[in-house]
This record gives sequence, C-alpha cells and structure tokens, in this order.
Amino acid sequence: MEKPKHKVDPKIGKIFLIFAGVCILALPLVVFSAFSSEPKEMETAVIEAQSMDFDHNGKAIFENFDRISKDYIEGTSTERTLSEYYSRRQYPGSPPEIPHPLEAHGINLECLTCHANGGWTEPLKRITPVTPHPEQVSCMQCHVWSVTDKLFREIDWKSVPPPRLGRAKLPGAPVPIPHDLQMRGNCIACHVGPGTVTAIRVEHPSRGNCRQCHVPETNAEPFVRKTKS
Amino acid sequence: MPVFSYLAYPVQGSKPQLLNDLAALDFCEVTPAENEEVLILVTDTPDEKTEKELQKKLKEIKSLESLGMTFGHTDE
Amino acid sequence: MDITRRQFIKSAAAQSAVATAAVLFPGISFGAWKNVDSGGIEWKKTPCRFCGTGCSLLVGVSGDRAVAVKGDPNCSVNKGLCCVKGYHSIQILYGKDRVNKALVRKNGKLVETPLKEALDLVASKMQETIKSHGKDAVAMYGSGQWSITDGYVASKLFKGCIGTNNLEANARLCMASAVTGFLTSFGLDEPMGCYDDIDHADVFITWGNNMAEMHPVLFSRMLANRKSKGHVKIIDFATRTTRSSQAADRSIIFRPQTDLAVANAICYEIIRNNWVNWDFVKKHVSFHKGKTNIGYGTQDHFKFKDKAETVDFEAYKAFLADYTPEKVEKMSGVPAKDIKYLAALFGDPDKKVTSFWCMGMNQHTRGTWINNLVYNCHLLVGKISTPGNSPFSLTGQPSACGTVREVGTLTHKLPKGVVMKEGARKLAAKIWDVPVENIDPKPTYHTVEMFRALDRGDIRFMWIQVTNPMVTMPNLNRYRDGAKKDGRFLVVSEIYPTPTYDVADVVLPAALWIEREGFFGNSERRTQHNEQIIPMPGDCMSNTWQIIEVARRMGFEKQFPWSEETYIEDIWNEYIQFHDNPKHRMAPYKELKAKSGLQWPYVNGLETKWRYNAKYDPAAEADSFDFYGKPDRRAWIWLRPYEPPAESPDSEYPFWLNTGRVLEHWHTGSMTRRVPILHRAVPEAYVEINSDDAARLGITNGSKVKVSSRRGSVTMKASINGRGLPPKGMVFVPFFDESYLINEVTLDAFCPISKQPDYKKCAVKLERV
Repeated sequence: MEKPKHKVDPKIGKIFLIFAGVCILALPLVVFSAFSSEPKEMETAVIEAQSMDFDHNGKAIFENFDRISKDYIEGTSTERTLSEYYSRRQYPGSPPEIPHPLEAHGINLECLTCHANGGWTEPLKRITPVTPHPEQVSCMQCHVWSVTDKLFREIDWKSVPPPRLGRAKLPGAPVPIPHDLQMRGNCIACHVGPGTVTAIRVEHPSRGNCRQCHVPETNAEPFVRKTKS
Repeated sequence: MPVFSYLAYPVQGSKPQLLNDLAALDFCEVTPAENEEVLILVTDTPDEKTEKELQKKLKEIKSLESLGMTFGHTDE
Repeated sequence: MDITRRQFIKSAAAQSAVATAAVLFPGISFGAWKNVDSGGIEWKKTPCRFCGTGCSLLVGVSGDRAVAVKGDPNCSVNKGLCCVKGYHSIQILYGKDRVNKALVRKNGKLVETPLKEALDLVASKMQETIKSHGKDAVAMYGSGQWSITDGYVASKLFKGCIGTNNLEANARLCMASAVTGFLTSFGLDEPMGCYDDIDHADVFITWGNNMAEMHPVLFSRMLANRKSKGHVKIIDFATRTTRSSQAADRSIIFRPQTDLAVANAICYEIIRNNWVNWDFVKKHVSFHKGKTNIGYGTQDHFKFKDKAETVDFEAYKAFLADYTPEKVEKMSGVPAKDIKYLAALFGDPDKKVTSFWCMGMNQHTRGTWINNLVYNCHLLVGKISTPGNSPFSLTGQPSACGTVREVGTLTHKLPKGVVMKEGARKLAAKIWDVPVENIDPKPTYHTVEMFRALDRGDIRFMWIQVTNPMVTMPNLNRYRDGAKKDGRFLVVSEIYPTPTYDVADVVLPAALWIEREGFFGNSERRTQHNEQIIPMPGDCMSNTWQIIEVARRMGFEKQFPWSEETYIEDIWNEYIQFHDNPKHRMAPYKELKAKSGLQWPYVNGLETKWRYNAKYDPAAEADSFDFYGKPDRRAWIWLRPYEPPAESPDSEYPFWLNTGRVLEHWHTGSMTRRVPILHRAVPEAYVEINSDDAARLGITNGSKVKVSSRRGSVTMKASINGRGLPPKGMVFVPFFDESYLINEVTLDAFCPISKQPDYKKCAVKLERV
C-alpha cells in the first residue's frame, strides 16, 4: 500500500516564513516599547498611527509646562506637613483655625467654593484642603481666625499627643484608624489628593471601600477567656 | 546676639533624658518630636562669650549623640 | 536687637529646624501643645458651660486633665455638633490666674487666707449685719449659670432660714420679660414647644436676636432644615444687619422699639384678610388689656402693678385700627409690603411658623408687652403647641431656666409658687423643715432695685456668685460707687479676677463646671447632669457646698445635713418634691445621670415635648388644646400698645446705643478671653458705626471714638463694615471686654412688669478722639 504524500503548498509555506520573520523582528520592538514607555505614552502610541516619533509625543510636556502658572509649579501644594496641620488646632480633632485672610464680613457660605472639592486657588497660590463635613454650612460657627498673636492671660494648657503614624500591626499591613470618625467619616477629604497632609496621603485611592482594610483602633484590653473549670 | 537652631539627636533610648538635660540649660528652648527620636533646640545668647560657654556645656551632655545646625544668625 | 525682631529671628530659626526635620523624617510631628503624661482618653458627658441652647459635650479626660472635646452624638439638642466656644470650652479651666485660694481684704488689699477662716468670716459678717440692721440688710445675687443645686440651697438659706426675700439672680437682666410674657399669656413659665419644632417648621422668624452667633447650633439646624426641604424661609427681623441677616432669605430692619407696632400690624393684617383661625380662637383664646403709660423705672422705689381687664375680640379689632401697615411703616421704617408678607406667612394654613427671640425682645422697656404681642400673632392663627408651630422664647444662659426660673431664685418666688401665696409658703416650709413664719410673704427688691438698696445702705451685705455685676449693671457708675461705699460688705465667689472681684471684701474660690457634679436646665425644658469629671484645684469648693458651710456656721445644720459624697443627689431628691405633678415633674437622678438630658414634664418615663396639646401632654384634660395655666383654661391675647423708649436720640445725643455679644465671647469674657483661640479671634471690644455716619464724622476703621451718654463715656476703636452693620443713627458695642465698660454708658430703665433693664436703647453722641 502506498503512503499518501503530504502535499506542502510552497506558497503557504513562504507566507508562513515571512510571517514568522516579521514576528521575530517585531516582537522585541513590542516588548521594548511596552517596558520603556510611561503608560500614557504607550496608550498614545497604540491609539495613534504606528509612528515611532517619540520626539513628537514629547512635545506635549513642553506645551503643558507653558500652560501651567509659575506659582503652581513653585506652590506649597505638596508641602502640607503634620506640624502645620496640628499648629492650627488645640487638641487632636479640634476645629482648625482659618489660616488665611478672608474678604467677607458675615456668614461666608462661600467657603465651600474652595473647600468642597479642593483644587488650586489662585488668590492664595496653594491647593485647598477638602472639608470632611460639607453638609455643615455655618462654617464660622466653629472655625475662626486670629487677628493677633498675643494672649489676654497665660494659660496652662496640655493635651494628648496626636496619634503616631505607622501603627500597622504587621509589616505592610493596613494601618488601623487612630482617630475618631465623628465628623471625619469621609476618608477621601483628608487622605486623597494634593491638598492633603503629605505624611497621611494614600497612594491607593482608587480602592473605594477604605474600611474593608482599615479598622478603628480602640484601647481595648486583649481578649482573655475567663476559664470556668 | 547669636541665635542658632539645631536638630538634636539623642543617644539611643535617651530622648527623655536629653530633653531634661537641654531644658535645664539657660538660653535654650527645646521641642521634642512626638514620633521620632529627635528634638529641636533653639539657642539665643546675649553675646559671643556666653555663646562659647553654651557650646562648651552642650558638648558635655552625655545623652546627646549629635547636633545638626539648621539656622544661624549673629548681629556682627 | 528689639524684642519683636528677636522673636522673628527665633521663630525663623525654629521653622528652619522643623522644615529640615520634615525632609529627613517625613511624617514627623512637633506637637502644637504640651503633652500630658498618660495615654488614652476617656469620654464623659456634660452640658456645655455656655449658652442656653444646652448642647451636650463629651469631654476627653486623660489622667486628671480635660484634654479634648467632642459633640455628644447622643443628645438630641446638638447631635454631635458644637460651636467654637463649646469645642474649646475645657480651656477655660486652665488660665494661670485661676482663683484657687480664699482671699480677704485687709488694709485695702486682698490677701490669701485659709478657706475655713474666710467661711467663718462670711457667716459671722452675715449674722452681725442681721443683728444690727435686720434680716433684709443681707442679700444674695446669683446667676443663670448657677448649677441647680446652688440656687436651691441659696433659696432655702435666704428665704427659708434667714427669712429674707433678698434673693435675686442675673437672669433678671436676661429673661425676666420672657417669664412675665409667659405668665401673662399662659399662666405658666417656659416654652410650650421644643427644639423638634426646628425640624418641622416651614417658616422661621428671628425677632431681634442674632441667632447665627448666639444660638449657633440651633441656627445650623435651621439651615439644615432649609437645605433639605428647599421651600423653607428664614426671615430676620432686627434693628441691625448681622450674620443672621446674611443667612436669611429676607432681612427686615426696624427702628428700635417699633417691634411693638409691627407685631400689632401683623395681627391687624391677619384679621383684615380673614386669616383668623376661628375654631381655635373661639375655643382656646380670651382677650385682655392692662394699664398703659406704665413708666420706665429710672427712679428709686419705682413701683408698678398691672391690672387685667377682660375684653372681647371686637375691642381687640378696634384697638388694632391704629396699627395698619401703612401707619406702622411711617414710624418703624418697615415697608408695608414686608408687614403684609409676614402676616401672609402667619395666615397661610399650610405653613408651619416658628418664631425665635431672645435679648432684643427681653431687654426692652416693654419686654413683657412685646412677648405678649408675638404670642398674639401665633394665637390668632392657632399656630402653637404643634410640631413646627412654635413661638419659642430662647434662653440666654445655660441654666436660667433650670436654676433661676424653676427653683425660683427671685425675690417673689419659691420653688413652687410665689411668697405671696400661703399655700406655696406652707409647701416650702414643709419640705424645708422650717417654721412657715420664717418665709416672708412680701417680696423686697428686684435686681436693679437691690443694687440701688446697696447704694442707699438699705442692704449692707451681699454675696455674689457666678456673675459679674461690676461689668453688667446698666448705668454702672452708680452701682459700682454704691458697692464700694463704707459699711458695705461684699462676698464674691469667683474663678478668675474680675472687676467684681476687685471690689470684694472676701473672695471664695469656686469650683468651675466639670470640677463638680452639677445640673443645668436649657431653653427647651431639658435638664442635663454632669458628674465631677476632673478634680477641683487648690481650695476650690462648689457654690452649693460654700452655701452649706456658711449655713451650718449660722446654726442651720438641720436644714443642710448632707454629706460631701452624696449631697448633689440628696439635694436633687429634695428639690424635685416641689414639682411632683404632671405639669412639671422632673426626671429622677439615676436617669439624668445616664442620659444626655431629659425634658420636663417627665411623666411615666416619657418627656412632654409639646405642652397644652392633649395629643402630647398628659396634663392636658380636654381633647385638643388645654391652656391649663390660666383659670379660664385659655391662652390670653393682650391688647398692648406702642409706647416709646425711655431715652431716644435727640439733638445733643443723636445716636442709638445698642449692646450685645459676639460668637466667640461669653458675657463679660472672664472665661472666653482666657481661651487663646477665642481671644485671638476677637481680642478687643469696638464700636460698630454705620459707614455713612462714619464718613460724615471723619471716623475711619480702627480710629478712636468717644461714645458718651448723660451717664458716662467710653473711648474705643471704631469698626466699620465689620461683621455687624448698624443702620444710620445707631452704634453697637459688645460687652465682653472689661477694658471698655460700655455699661457705664447705658441706662437703668426697665420693663415695669418684669423689671428687666433695656440694654438695647439709649442715646449717645460720638466724638472723634
């Protein structure tokens, strides 16, 4: 009996060979571009025409640089420190003093124009912190500002130290919440974004359900079972 | 009138002792950090002679590991 | 190097160090305050020390110090929110010049003295004065910031044991017109509604009170209601523009004293448009008139007794003919269309209306009348005693209700009833275990007259607790000079040096607020308890215990038998016997200790939120409304006319002087000025001047102005276009700053019915200095 001859189509074979060659050539390039570009640039490269002109894309940086004001670049937005934060308070959780001058004289319900969503404020050249309690609109009932740094009489004032940072129970574990949640249940207001204190700014804000990992820390004694027998 | 400020680093474990030692000196204001082993020291002496004496006293403090100057001002 | 430059360089040095540290140690923190030694905070509840809103606070305690404050989320009053004073209230405990030792004046100077010796001196001086000049030569002047037990033992000692009615309190200067307003319109004191009305109302009217600064937490509740419901309107009816005006939907400015005419004009409009709720009026209202041309009390020994005459609706309607909106517009400056607008809000059957008022209506030479007239607006349309329909008299002090009004620390009052009634004297004698003959049936002096008596020498011994009359008495020069005369012995229980301390012969160191167990009662009939949260400093003693110690030294051990461990609870149990009926029953001690406040009447374990409405009030006997305070079981509409103020601007003194407070400072500032954040926000008093007037007089913001009346003058800095804007022809001065004693300028004219002085109206001139 005769074995059937496997007919190999030479045309198909040639196409296959060329395809393999292109793959071998292109693969390093794809890998190279995947690992060497910033994610944004990679996106642009994929969406636009397959041009290898990185210089053309780099122009965007200079255009953006020209558009942004000098003050923003030099502003204090990334330097909100814990010390500055506590210098406005009398004890952990007290309503902070207003540190900037105000134009208005009466009930200024316009505090929220800057403090509801934060963002860059041109007149004061800084990024505004966000209020954790925007539903309270009578701002000056609790927040006042100093017109003098003198005292009427000396005071012997002490309070508890602010909560220490870095209290994770295991290396890399989510830190417990060291402060009361009364009036401070909106984590995003103080922990997310450029207006926040740098030391407590989180790098994973897109995980929306904060309290699935971060739980309040109480002073409770450890559990000890009272043996009955 | 010389005014200087420093970061004062205590010998390991001696932060409370260093706080007391520095607070006991004349012309010195001390502010401890809450959550790190470092203190801020601000000195304000009336003249160069007193400043030199203060420097000598500071060198003698056993709980002090090192001082890093962060600000200096003299009138001369 | 001068001081300020050196300070600047030192502060730059410190900042350099902090900045460097922040770079080297991200997250480093240098506390803005000194630290306590122990860790961990325990939270304990207390009513706030300040205004009559009566917020409940949680004070954070670490070791034996108060270190933090939170709003108490369990309290229905404030639901976890406070104001800037409340949040920093614990700092009032720690001023370095705290009075914690007794002082006795020897050779003109106050000298530290052992407490026992000082108490002996107080008792012996009182006995000596009674022996030489009679029992009515001694007096006690207390306070709406007295804890309830303070007032109770004061009343028992002075009225039950010594037998004098010379017992008054500063609430006479604060709430007396509100009280007489209640008694004349309803027969019983204190609001018939509660703060829940804020959540139900569609319309809010503030009648001459700056609620945004003075009852800020309640104002926030109003704003929250408006925000959530959308159609809610807030109308500010006042003599000057304030933060409240700015938050309101409409601000209506009226000329001082013409509130009397405007309120009548609103009623005229209600009747003219046939908006009267006839069902309500026919069943539950009766009409009355009193005397007119009733005077102002500026002379010593002024006496007035009203005489009620029953009339009818037709007489009332005829009386109102003088108060058409057009006529009232001319005298008040309020456009007729605004009067009609207000009337329409009352007349709209679908709108629930809540009125709030405080000092603008009470510190008024016709304070009783204006209280009656605002009740009239509500009564004509039946908008009362139901959720959201509420003429609500706000109380200024934290316990003017709880102590002064409910315990009755006024010349004519007993814990239940008045000294003039035999039944009330018998009840007091029984509970106090004193002979009924001890209790004098004749009232003696109201506050202004009491200080006049001190000046004249009819009173020679006065014990002052928790108040600062050497800053707050109107026409102050006379009363300060009077207090300093020879032969006057003043005992002052105080926490800090004040102008009243400065004229004392004995100073007793008092425990402050949470340093002792106590009770306050707020505007909405809510009693609140705090335990002793931190220890008392030095030789301090609660006011209650001071009175007990002196009473025992005067021979009244039997009536003041209690032990230091349980005296507050024991006194509470004795006191509440007076109110044991469904119209006034007080909550038991254990429940007050556990809960963040309970309202009275407290009947069968339930608070009575709305009185006189059978749906909510177990003491009401009918099936709808039962105004059981009056013999005819109806609410009384009074025919009260407009009468002019005691002293109006004229060619020589062309400005109105108006006085009051600011958010940050409480009363005479002895507590709040020692709180750094409050002092730094408003460090000094000032005179608000209208910008047109200022320009005309050549006065600029911050320049010095001399404010003078026929009685005295004060020179202070001008505030133009600040947080309050007076209209042309008026100036306003806050009274918290003892360096600017504005009461040297005010007038001691008062409402002849309530005897409460008018701090809002007298005539002054301004001179550039």
